[in-house]
Amino acid sequence: MSFSPVTQASKGVGTPTTRLIGLIAIASLAWVLFGGLVATPPEVTQGESVRIMYVHVPSAWVAYLAFITTAVASASYLLSRRRSLGFDRVAGASAEVGVVFMGITLVSGSLWGRLTWGTFWQWDPRLTTTSFLFVTYLGYLAVRGLGGTHHQRAKRSAILALLAVLEIPLVHFSVVLWRSLHQRASVLSTDGDVKMDGLMLFTLLVGVVAFTATFAWLVMHRQRVLAMRDIVESRKLDVAIAQRTGEGN
Amino acid sequence: MDLTPRTSADNAPLAPRKRKTTWTTIVVLVAIVVAGGVIVSQFLTSAIDYYCNADEVGVREGCEADRRIRIQGTVDEGSLESAAGSTSFSLSFNDVTINVVYEGDPGGIFQECIPVVAHGRLVGDTFEANRIEVRHSNEYMAENGDRVTDAEAKACSQQTG
Repeated sequence: MSFSPVTQASKGVGTPTTRLIGLIAIASLAWVLFGGLVATPPEVTQGESVRIMYVHVPSAWVAYLAFITTAVASASYLLSRRRSLGFDRVAGASAEVGVVFMGITLVSGSLWGRLTWGTFWQWDPRLTTTSFLFVTYLGYLAVRGLGGTHHQRAKRSAILALLAVLEIPLVHFSVVLWRSLHQRASVLSTDGDVKMDGLMLFTLLVGVVAFTATFAWLVMHRQRVLAMRDIVESRKLDVAIAQRTGEGN
Repeated sequence: MDLTPRTSADNAPLAPRKRKTTWTTIVVLVAIVVAGGVIVSQFLTSAIDYYCNADEVGVREGCEADRRIRIQGTVDEGSLESAAGSTSFSLSFNDVTINVVYEGDPGGIFQECIPVVAHGRLVGDTFEANRIEVRHSNEYMAENGDRVTDAEAKACSQQTG
């Protein structure tokens, strides 16, 4: 039996594609840093605190994207004839990265709230549903860590991922369904009217590209690391079986 | 890794695990989630509408004047006064105005012509607040000379929902 992917681990898990995505992420993040801190003007009401938006909104978008990716990969695992564990590893990697970005969303939103609303936190509909989503995916990662075979892990976490993703519409539309301290969407507003200064909007969109590229880069690397971990676990199992077989001789 | 076969107390092999159908599990889980969604939705609708608009005080269920509530309105232009650590102002929504007193500095970007949410209780004709939060709109305009005047004028005339 060959375990070449493990022995090649020291060479890293990068490919030309991930390197290209990494370069896009670095270049766009550089603009977000410059544009967000220097080039864009203060907002007429919020002043300098509006700069937090260039982190807060893209990180929220990426968290949504990550959880949707997890759901799609999970559905692909359940529906595919071969039940490829590759789908499961993409789902797991995406959820891990999504939880990180959701954490960034909550922290940056809390800081922004202190500067504009005058409070770090309130149990209003948007904040409550977002924290509920965050906790749900922490639970998802916990479920992935339970014992069993790789396929048992993949199956139970896939079902959970398909249920958890249903929370996203509730989070996104909570500011429309209920009265919230949180403002409604500016770019993806229901009336289709973008209510933002041009340079602010451009920097925000570059931020979305930057964070999305960072997400893709992280997930591609992470799922390869997870694949190696699975191989190592399988190898340990093979060794243990061989030892038991040897005891019988 | 311990691969010792599991056995029961009398050393007899364990009975094979019952295989329940995946679909039954999925249907039960979906039913739980839907039920949870309905409960959360009803709870949020009845109890966590974050605030009452100023014109709903004493009118809408949950906005009774004799209980602790959160009210929203836009701070009236020229109404803001600060003295001896106390802040007083009036807020309006749909032509209904309520006087508010708050012990302290509201913080955030509190100012005239901006929508706020005040937490407290109506005592007589005055709303005694112990927390003020500023709502900001979903419009982001660059700060520069003439626009400030336009934005302030717009903020004073707008009534956010």
